[in-house]
Amino acid sequence: MTPSALRALLAGRFPSCSARDGAVAPDGLPTGLPAIDTAGGLPRGAVTELTCPASGGGASLLLGGLLAASRAGGGRAALVDPHNAFDPDSFPASTLQHLVWVRCPAPNQALAAADLLVRDANFNLVVLDLRRLPEPALRHIPATHWHRLRLAAEAAGNTLLVQTAVAAVPGTRLRLALAPSLPLAALEKERLLLLAALSPVRTRHPLAAAV
Amino acid sequence: MFAVLHVEAFALQAALRAGPPVAGTRPASLITGLGRQTALGECNRAARAAGLSAGMSFAQALARCPTLLLRPPDPAGEAEARAVLLAAALTLSPAVEDTATGCCTIDLRGTDPAGRRGAAEAAVRALAATDLEANAGAARTPRLAAYAARWAGQNALPGGFLAVEEEAALLAKLPVDYAEPTPAQAARLAGWGIHTLGELTALTAAGLTRRLGREGRELWDRARGGEPRPLRRHEPPVGFHATADHEAGVETLPALLPPLERHVERLALELQAAGLAAGGLELELRLEDGPAHRAHLRLPAPTASAAPLQRALETHLTGLRTAAPVRGWSLRVEAVRAPVRQQDFLSGGLRDPHAFTETLAQVAALVGAERVGTPVPTDTHRPDAAALSPPPGLLEEAPAAPGGVIGLPLRRFRPPLPARLTFAPTSGRPAHVWTERFSGPVAEARGPWCASGDWWEPARAWARVEWDVALAGGGLYRLLGEREAWFVEGEYD
Repeated sequence: MTPSALRALLAGRFPSCSARDGAVAPDGLPTGLPAIDTAGGLPRGAVTELTCPASGGGASLLLGGLLAASRAGGGRAALVDPHNAFDPDSFPASTLQHLVWVRCPAPNQALAAADLLVRDANFNLVVLDLRRLPEPALRHIPATHWHRLRLAAEAAGNTLLVQTAVAAVPGTRLRLALAPSLPLAALEKERLLLLAALSPVRTRHPLAAAV
Repeated sequence: MFAVLHVEAFALQAALRAGPPVAGTRPASLITGLGRQTALGECNRAARAAGLSAGMSFAQALARCPTLLLRPPDPAGEAEARAVLLAAALTLSPAVEDTATGCCTIDLRGTDPAGRRGAAEAAVRALAATDLEANAGAARTPRLAAYAARWAGQNALPGGFLAVEEEAALLAKLPVDYAEPTPAQAARLAGWGIHTLGELTALTAAGLTRRLGREGRELWDRARGGEPRPLRRHEPPVGFHATADHEAGVETLPALLPPLERHVERLALELQAAGLAAGGLELELRLEDGPAHRAHLRLPAPTASAAPLQRALETHLTGLRTAAPVRGWSLRVEAVRAPVRQQDFLSGGLRDPHAFTETLAQVAALVGAERVGTPVPTDTHRPDAAALSPPPGLLEEAPAAPGGVIGLPLRRFRPPLPARLTFAPTSGRPAHVWTERFSGPVAEARGPWCASGDWWEPARAWARVEWDVALAGGGLYRLLGEREAWFVEGEYD
């Protein structure tokens, strides 16, 4: 039996559970991406995983939309960046005033920093960027770490977005996947149009339907 | 109307709170005397319940109560506890008298009668939070208020507070020893069958004077509760500071932090009494060897609560490594007027500024302070020159959605990846890219984009050429040519 068929079977047998898993809270965190916002945004008090295996997928584009939307909403955001990859010059300075950028020299410090930040209810959004972490190292992170982070996000009511190259985070409420699709010509297009055209696939869903 | 804050077995409580923490309520007693003369001093309620009393020898005491906790007197701890008691008293009224050890009298004239009970109970709670078990009483005279406070403690009244409304009813319940009779007077009164102050005051003053002399008249006056009198006012401290020295050098945080936190509790009470708040903390650690460690701890918002101040100190000290053990410390509070500010819907204030600062301090201790902050642009066209600044406490109103931004964000490789390039002989465009992480033929390229700056300062001058490329196997990258070498500066995403 395929995973999709199993999910469909479980959804039919336990409709209340599947509705809880699949539903995004109506007061979710806006992303600036219409395809996600129309479905309720990113869930608060939960972990969301965004997988983007290579460049050209639009994960940084989505991050820019998230930062602009959370800035407009008056919230605070934190970016835990163990690979020191974030480029502030790529984003309007006005959308970064609420951002706390944490450049960690090692992935284990990134997990510890995320653990501290996600417990602080002052932050609406905490982003943990592990996209450049090799897959074996990513899978080597104990499930208990993710469990701690999930419980902390639930307690504080904030959104924890984990960016990875492959799906590896257990216990996420929502999992989005972005495939490399942007052409070089995107460098000359308006960013809002590019953002509107992004279509992440929602894989953590009973029917694995596109958002 | 007067109030009294009374701490029973004050010297013992001061010694206990200055020492290592004790779990639960254990029988405890103070040690008095030297050599063969040592004996039990003040005993707490649990010790008295176990049958112990002052003057008993250690052997007798330990035979009756093996779990007895013995503490030597601690003059420094008593001075600190006295300051805490006075600070709590000053939260009720500025007219405070340091009447006796563990006893403060407060003149409540001019205060709101409706709020007296709440304020007194709050002062008792504040003292309890600093491990001083106190009780409060309010009455027409200072002595009656002291009787009420003692009675509230002995009978464990709710809130630890008793306001005397019917003086005769209270005196009828109080034992004669409240009026401090001499042993001879106490024996004679017992012989007459007089056991309460109510029974004593029922006698006539003239009759008691005839039988007990002038001292008898004074006893009768004390038994009635005395008369209102002007207080010898205690002047509140001018500054807000604390200092302590350690006989032996302190090397660990668990040994350093508890006494520091005790003093912070007192400073917070003094700030509250003065209607001020702490805007920052100046900490000095005197070391056994070498220069002292000095730090200024900035607070995100002025506060007069002890907990945020203690957390700020703990967070700072947790990440601190000194070159030598600590011999002493000084702490000074920058007192400021607490700003009155109303949050509005448009400004991005913090839910809990102290928690925010504490979180950032913890993260900074983990990864390094230079790696945490809000990115801000600097006044240069040099690429990747953004600086990190402390996150603002209050955000301005968010601007409208930023439009007109072109292209994709860059994800940088820091440092840039060294690369080898081949160029098409005809067009001069990159044709193939090799790096340690990836390589492949270039499907599409745009450029070259040349930039330079700071050419008027040879040491800082920079010049670069960029190509934006799409590899045939997927991926959008920025190539950087600098000082006759090629790099991959980042990936577009």
